[in-house]
Amino acid sequence: MNLQYHVKLAPGDVAPYVLLPGDPGRVPVVASYWDEAREVARNREYVTYTGTYRGAPISCTSTGIGAPSTAIALEELARVGATTFVRIGTCGSLQTRASVGDLAIFDSAARSDGASRLYAPLEFPAVADHGVVTATIEAARSLDVTHHVGTTVSTDVFYTPQEGVAFGGYHQSWAREIYEDARRQNTLAVEMESSIVMVLTRIWGLRGGAMAVIADDVFAMVDEGGAFDAEATFDVGAAQMERLARVGSETVRVLAERDAAAPPPTGTV
Amino acid sequence: MSVQYHLKLAPGDVAPYVLLPGDPGRVPLVASLWDESHEVASNREYVTFTGTYRGVPISCTSTGIGCPSTAIAMEELARVGATTFVRIGTCGTFQDRVRNGDMAIFDSAARYDGASRLYAPLEFPAVADHEIVGASIAAGEALGYPFHVGTTRSADTFYAMHPRPGSSFNDYWQSSWRDHFEDLKRLNVIAAEMEASVILVLARIWGLRAGGIAVVLDNVLRVSGASGEFDPQDQFEHGGDEIERLARMGSEIVRIVAERDAARDPHDVNPA
Repeated sequence: MNLQYHVKLAPGDVAPYVLLPGDPGRVPVVASYWDEAREVARNREYVTYTGTYRGAPISCTSTGIGAPSTAIALEELARVGATTFVRIGTCGSLQTRASVGDLAIFDSAARSDGASRLYAPLEFPAVADHGVVTATIEAARSLDVTHHVGTTVSTDVFYTPQEGVAFGGYHQSWAREIYEDARRQNTLAVEMESSIVMVLTRIWGLRGGAMAVIADDVFAMVDEGGAFDAEATFDVGAAQMERLARVGSETVRVLAERDAAAPPPTGTV
Repeated sequence: MSVQYHLKLAPGDVAPYVLLPGDPGRVPLVASLWDESHEVASNREYVTFTGTYRGVPISCTSTGIGCPSTAIAMEELARVGATTFVRIGTCGTFQDRVRNGDMAIFDSAARYDGASRLYAPLEFPAVADHEIVGASIAAGEALGYPFHVGTTRSADTFYAMHPRPGSSFNDYWQSSWRDHFEDLKRLNVIAAEMEASVILVLARIWGLRAGGIAVVLDNVLRVSGASGEFDPQDQFEHGGDEIERLARMGSEIVRIVAERDAARDPHDVNPA
């Protein structure tokens, strides 16, 4: 098989278990917590490292921001042998019980993205693999990381058309209460990639899941002057990134250990 | 609080754990497997029995067919104290690997119903609580029942959307139905039934727990004859003990969930 067009990977370059951050700059940071790691490919927003973490084979590929580039990463990673996809990212919280610095574990996603609906109708759920959810919970517990399990809303827009958020005061009436409504729906957080990870893995019979460290409270983003400054508001410290990388890597180890004891039966994905 | 309008239930009438079959006739059958039970209400399609199963408080309420009546059952059950909902039903399958008599465990549902989208936009996922999914897997393993974990399609129609004319009365048919079942098969959907989506959506938005299982009666891609005719009375296999196995697995799920709830540390900030 030839090198994949965008991610520049060939079969053998990646482990079955792949961590998926958005930011290519975070890939070497994640890999720095492994036993050993090497860069296997780099092209556009896609950087891939492969190595081992506590004996488990592991890879990490950045997806870029948003579902379109993430769908490409998943298509090409699956072609070269990846079977288990764990998104590790950052998110904003919609619930007061989930504080900045806590870990959000996503068992499902609201599909406010465009790419996933070109694969499956909107009726279809974006749902994480049960085994990935329980492995993530186990990993967070073992590392004593405060966590919350719930639904994320995966949206294609970072600068939502709300007053003070989108450029130049542009806003739309339908967007005014979308996050209040999502909060009332018990949605835990907002980010931009989980829905496509869950939909694609489900329809292919593979495994997907997602977790994200909470970088901000969505309802406190806009300051008293009505302005939104992402640089000032989202403060993802090195300690938070380390926790995210560790819980993600530990999730892979738990899954690899379970798979070695009892390979996931086909048909129960 | 007065008695609920449709279900005729008051606080104290139901356990926190409620099994939800569609058919009111199945409620006494389910309850017959328990240590003890009594009928607490019966009105329209809603019949409720409450009792104990292997020491665990348990209720069973029929929802009637479809998401509209099921949404009413959920609203009124939650008001009288139910917190954990487990649908137990029958289904068809889209997948060749799933055989008649197998159990389908639903971790999610495709929302081809009307009621759930009046509560939450279609983007929102119909997802089961992972604790209920985990308990369902444990119950299936303990009972030795073959099972499959996956997504169900919850639709508002029973006779519509089949691939060929003949399923709906008088050969009514739409071209958009031609590939619908095959598309769902390719989407890796394992089951077809009519109630799970609204149960999962409502429990999630209220912060309650829900899941569901269904015994597989047939492969929906094969139920139509050569002419497209669809006679469920003739074609759905009821071998006799499917419903008993369904009732037993549902009751075991409740027992496992209750056992795990009792073992939970109430001071744990990370309940999972």
